[in-house]
Amino acid sequence: MKTHKNHLRLLILLLLVLLACAGYMTVGVHFENQKLFAYAMRIRTPKLIAMLITAFAIGSASIVFQSIINNTIVTPCLLGMDQLYSLIHTAVFFVAGSGSFLAVNANAAFAVDLAIMGAVATVIYSYLFQKTNHNVLYVLLIGTVLTSFFSSIQTTLTRVMDPNEYDTLLTDLVASFSNVNSAILALSVAVLALVAFAFRKELALLDVLTLGKDQAINLGVDYDRCIRRLLLGVTLYIATATAMVGPLAFLGLIIANLSRQFLRTYRHSQLITGSVLFGMVVLIGGQLLVERVFVYSVPVSVFITVGGGVYFLYLLLTQRKA
Amino acid sequence: MFVKEITKRYDGKAVVDGVSFEIPKGKVLSLIGPNGAGKSTVMGMLSRLIARDSGLVDFEGTEITRWKSRELSKRLAILTQANNVQMKLTVRELVAFGRFPYSGGRLTQEDNEIIDRAIAYMELGDFEEQFIDELSGGQRQRAYIAMVIAQDTEYILLDEPTNNLDIYHATNLMRIVRRLCDELGKTVILVLHEINYAAFYSDYICAFVDGKIAKFGTVQEVITKENLSDIYKVDFEIMQIEGKPLSIYY
Repeated sequence: MKTHKNHLRLLILLLLVLLACAGYMTVGVHFENQKLFAYAMRIRTPKLIAMLITAFAIGSASIVFQSIINNTIVTPCLLGMDQLYSLIHTAVFFVAGSGSFLAVNANAAFAVDLAIMGAVATVIYSYLFQKTNHNVLYVLLIGTVLTSFFSSIQTTLTRVMDPNEYDTLLTDLVASFSNVNSAILALSVAVLALVAFAFRKELALLDVLTLGKDQAINLGVDYDRCIRRLLLGVTLYIATATAMVGPLAFLGLIIANLSRQFLRTYRHSQLITGSVLFGMVVLIGGQLLVERVFVYSVPVSVFITVGGGVYFLYLLLTQRKA
Repeated sequence: MFVKEITKRYDGKAVVDGVSFEIPKGKVLSLIGPNGAGKSTVMGMLSRLIARDSGLVDFEGTEITRWKSRELSKRLAILTQANNVQMKLTVRELVAFGRFPYSGGRLTQEDNEIIDRAIAYMELGDFEEQFIDELSGGQRQRAYIAMVIAQDTEYILLDEPTNNLDIYHATNLMRIVRRLCDELGKTVILVLHEINYAAFYSDYICAFVDGKIAKFGTVQEVITKENLSDIYKVDFEIMQIEGKPLSIYY
């Protein structure tokens, strides 16, 4: 019975997503003028696709990550995973230089970043979990330190960089919703699909993993291997989202927890779907507001950061009571 | 199932030091001893949850770490003390996880019958649809035990299962342990603090002191005035009630 209720809830969310998409693609478009119409579509379509992909990547990665570490107030971005990606991206540019093929070919640069990110992030974060024994407060604390650590190094690198190189870097490093890195759309979709396919067995085990390490092993799960693989998947997803639209610290936290509160279930198939749909509503709806109501004066990431910060405090406080 | 010379060190200090014993099949074995004697660590090594520094754990003729995890989970179940789940999970859904080794996420008709029986065994019928994070500690403990029962394994390992339970539910649990052994032929290994529960409901007792076995034998052999005084360093009186040696300490 609960499952049916949740299917209905997901359907409502899906309708909201479609509504947001339709709104985003139509509001303020001049349908009567052929040329203006074509222009608007050319601008808006890649952005819409990028937002859909980002919501998918961050929404699913956040839920998976929370289940791995068995806590719902932590997300990969809160622990600096997106900052790490920015750092890697900058470092690659810094070493290769703006004359290299990496600077010209966005897809090649993305692939190199992904490979480094997968290796580095898996090592750092699995070591972090191991060292802190999954103690969530320590993980959060160290994660916050890591976030500023990564972004400081990244800033330092950009400071000492050649101004011309910095200029090249800037255009695609500070990707945002107004400046979507649309060159890598196709490759992103391929990466996300491939990762989901490669780790489908582990994804099916997520429900059991949330019972905790002891119970998961008791029920016959190869725990350590499973966690390692899922963590790698999460880093690749976050890397992809960051490459496309830049860091979005609190988005994952908001949508993952909205999904958990809204659906009240342990089934990850539903939780992940819910989180992804919430992500699409928040991003596309938010961007619609930003573009049409605030006329680009405030970027959507600001709303997400402010709203997410407040929501994070709320979650921390209410969790304490429980 | 037997263990040979198993040892576990934390920071160079041996918590379990060269322990060997054989587990009598189809019987109830209780591990007792003072705090820090290594009972729970031995239990962890028996169940592959804790890695050994040296020694051998043989399960049905094969070293336990060589078993396929899925296969082993159909034959040996473990319930530890630390169980907190942040998920929205109902009692019935938790118990249903006991069937995971058999049918993955998809429950068959047979699975559902086994789940029903496990819930009835632990008298959880009244709140099977409640979320486990809204239950009292004792109710939650019983839900976990129902899950282990639903797992339907030959060997059941319970680490301090009577913790958090009041006298009624603790006694009930021990009776269920007895029934699991007598009626269903299961081998149950428990870590217990209450010596009298161990004495009344077990067949064998293994007493630990400082990471080593102090005594291993039938209940009558181990539960004596002298042995218990040696193990716990307090004075004991033993009374025979219903043919079992129950102890009084003060």
